Amino acid sequence: MINAEAEQGTLASRAGELFERYRAGEAAAMGELVALLTPILWHTVRAQRLDRESTEDVLQTTWLALVGHAESIADPRAVLQWMLVAARREAWRLLRGQTRQTPAEIDEDAMATPDHQLPENVALRDADDQVLWAHVSALPERCRELLRVIAFADRPDYAELARALRMPIGSIGPTRGRCLAKLRASLTADARWELR
Amino acid sequence: MNISEIPAWESLADEPMDSVDAEILARTAVLYERLDPVPADLVDQLRFAISLEALEFELAVLVVDADRLLSVRTEQTSTVQTLTFTCDALTIMVNVGSEGPGHKRIDGWLAPGSAGRVELHQSNRVLTADADPDGRFAFPTVEPGLTRFVVRLAPEDRHAPVATTMVEI
Repeated sequence: MINAEAEQGTLASRAGELFERYRAGEAAAMGELVALLTPILWHTVRAQRLDRESTEDVLQTTWLALVGHAESIADPRAVLQWMLVAARREAWRLLRGQTRQTPAEIDEDAMATPDHQLPENVALRDADDQVLWAHVSALPERCRELLRVIAFADRPDYAELARALRMPIGSIGPTRGRCLAKLRASLTADARWELR
Repeated sequence: MNISEIPAWESLADEPMDSVDAEILARTAVLYERLDPVPADLVDQLRFAISLEALEFELAVLVVDADRLLSVRTEQTSTVQTLTFTCDALTIMVNVGSEGPGHKRIDGWLAPGSAGRVELHQSNRVLTADADPDGRFAFPTVEPGLTRFVVRLAPEDRHAPVATTMVEI
């Protein structure tokens, strides 16, 4: 099962390997898996317009669900996809409750707001960031979500992860797809944007 | 800015990705890390949350013996497998017997002997049994699979619940 390729493989394959080791009885592998997947899961849930504190709750619930269902997950190699689906579902469950009660709280969360302006309370370090953010935030919401999640993964996994995010087939990987093409076109049309 | 005014992006969509795309995505990741960083202690919090300590269990670990190593790793387990878990306050011994294909019988006892509630946790089910005052308990029909036992001693024992590590039975 464990081979050199998986050892240095993509985020999804490394996650799958750690999860298999956990299921085989190596408890410490779960700790490694948490460290490996927390960034992409954080941004997956935050892209659902959930506030930071609720996002922490969602992630905890999702990890507990993984531990609780560890043995019943049919394909341990697909643990990253499983976690993306579970985290999004839990985020929606929470959002349905939240939006009824405190829409104002959600709106004040700058990153979660589909705002074409830079968030006022966040200082972007350099001009490049400001340009990139201007173009990213001009994308349709589903594209922003897709690219935000994909940005934390590795290219061979893009198509699978897009599927886990319920994006249409061909959204990204192996071809560029519409979202990344839009971002690239608008960036390259912007004289302020430079490749490093 | 209006994206629809930008020409030619649709033809870009069908091309394979290249190094420019890789850089755009890498910089997008950095951007989001700056704008919305993962809380510094989140990984530790999550690890703690899924550890047994957070659930206020005392963990009873498996006492490994050669017989078990043999029996656990083979599909056709020998007739009876004995597992022993220990922690400071309690030792949990279970005999796992085969009751035909797909079914196990578990007989166990707690030492020191004490009445309490024993739970058998598997991925999608929890079975419970009462331990008698001598600490004996049984689960007559158990499906094979990854299993953990949780023991809640009688309230007068004033002891935190004990959970075992997970084992394949």
